[in-house]
Amino acid sequence: MKVLIIIPAYNEAENIKNVVDNLAGNFPQYDYVIINDSSKDDTEAICRQNQYNFLSLPINLGIGGGVQTGYKYALEHGYDIAVQHDGDGQHDPAYIEKVIQPILEGKADIVIGSRFLSGEGFQSSAGRRAGIKFLSALIRVFCGARVKDVTSGFRAVNQRYIKFYAEDYPSDYPEPEAIVTASLDGAKIQEVPVVMRERENGVSSINLKRSVYYMVKVSIAIVVCRITGRKRRGRKR
Amino acid sequence: MTIYLRIVLGLVVVVYFLLILHFMKKKMLSLKYTLLWLFSGIVMGILVLFPGLLDAFVKAVGIETPMYGLFVFAIFFILVIAMSLTAIVSKQTERIKDLAQGNAVLEKRVRELEKSKLKKGEG
Repeated sequence: MKVLIIIPAYNEAENIKNVVDNLAGNFPQYDYVIINDSSKDDTEAICRQNQYNFLSLPINLGIGGGVQTGYKYALEHGYDIAVQHDGDGQHDPAYIEKVIQPILEGKADIVIGSRFLSGEGFQSSAGRRAGIKFLSALIRVFCGARVKDVTSGFRAVNQRYIKFYAEDYPSDYPEPEAIVTASLDGAKIQEVPVVMRERENGVSSINLKRSVYYMVKVSIAIVVCRITGRKRRGRKR
Repeated sequence: MTIYLRIVLGLVVVVYFLLILHFMKKKMLSLKYTLLWLFSGIVMGILVLFPGLLDAFVKAVGIETPMYGLFVFAIFFILVIAMSLTAIVSKQTERIKDLAQGNAVLEKRVRELEKSKLKKGEG
C-alpha cells in the first residue's frame, strides 16, 4: 500500500522544518508532498534548501485548492491512500497509522482524526467547540454522516476518494463541505481519536473576525450541497 | 409616454448600442458576453418604439405608469447580467485554479528534470 502524506503549507516557515523532519525521519514508510500555497515567507526557500518533496503553487489558492493539488498529485502517482496532515505542527504523525488503519482493513473510505473522541490534548476554545458542534449537527441532519470533529484537517482517504477529491474539492473553508460531498456520494466515513497540539508558531488562519463569516458560509454550503448534490446511498461497492 | 420622452429614450438606446459597438470594435468585449447586453438593448428599443406593448405590460401586471414598467425591465436585465457575470467569474476561478495546480505539478517535474540533468553532467 502506497501512502502519501499531503502537507498543505501557507506561510509555515517556522513550523515546516520540524514537521517534515519529524515525518521523514521517523516515518520513512510514508511518502509525503508539501503543497506550498504561494507562501509570502521563506517556506519555499526552506523546502528547496532541504530538498523536500514539494509542489509550489504560483498563486494562492487557499487551503482547499492546496489540498486538492495534493490529491491530484496522489492520483497521478497512483497512491492507494492519501493522508492530509497540516504543516503547522498541530498534527502528530504518530497517529497516521491509526488514521489509515480502518482504510487498510476496508472498513472505511474516509477516516477523520478527531480530537473530541478521546478528549485529550488541544481542544480549541469553547466558542469554536460550540461552532464545530453546530456544524456537526447540521451535517448529521442534512446528510446523515456522524462526524464530531468536522473541521479536523487530519484525515485519510482511500483510492476512490483520492480520485473523487482530485476532481472536485471545495474551496475556502473546505473541511466540513468535503465531508458532505463525500457522504452524499455514499462514502463510509469513520472517526478515530487523535491528540492534537496547539500550533507551534504563527497564527491560525481563522481569526475571530472571520469566524462569523466562516459559520455562515459553511452552514449555507452544507445546506446547498445537500440540495444540489445527488445522494447515492446503498451504492454497490 | 409623451412623444418627447420617447425621442429622448430612443436616443439613449441608440447611444447604448453605439457604446457596445465601440467596445466590440476595440475588442474590449467579446461577442459571447455581449449577447445579453445586445438583447436587453433590443427589448428596450422595441418598448420605446412601440409604447403600446409597454402599456399592455404595465396594465397586465398592475404597474401605475409606463415609465415604471420600463424601470422594471431595465432592473430585470441588470439583475440577469449581474448573475451571468457572477457565473462567469466562478467558472474563471475554477479554471485559474486548475491552471495553477497544473503549473505546480509541471514546475516540480521541470525542477526534477533539471536536477537529474545536472547530475548527469557532473558524472
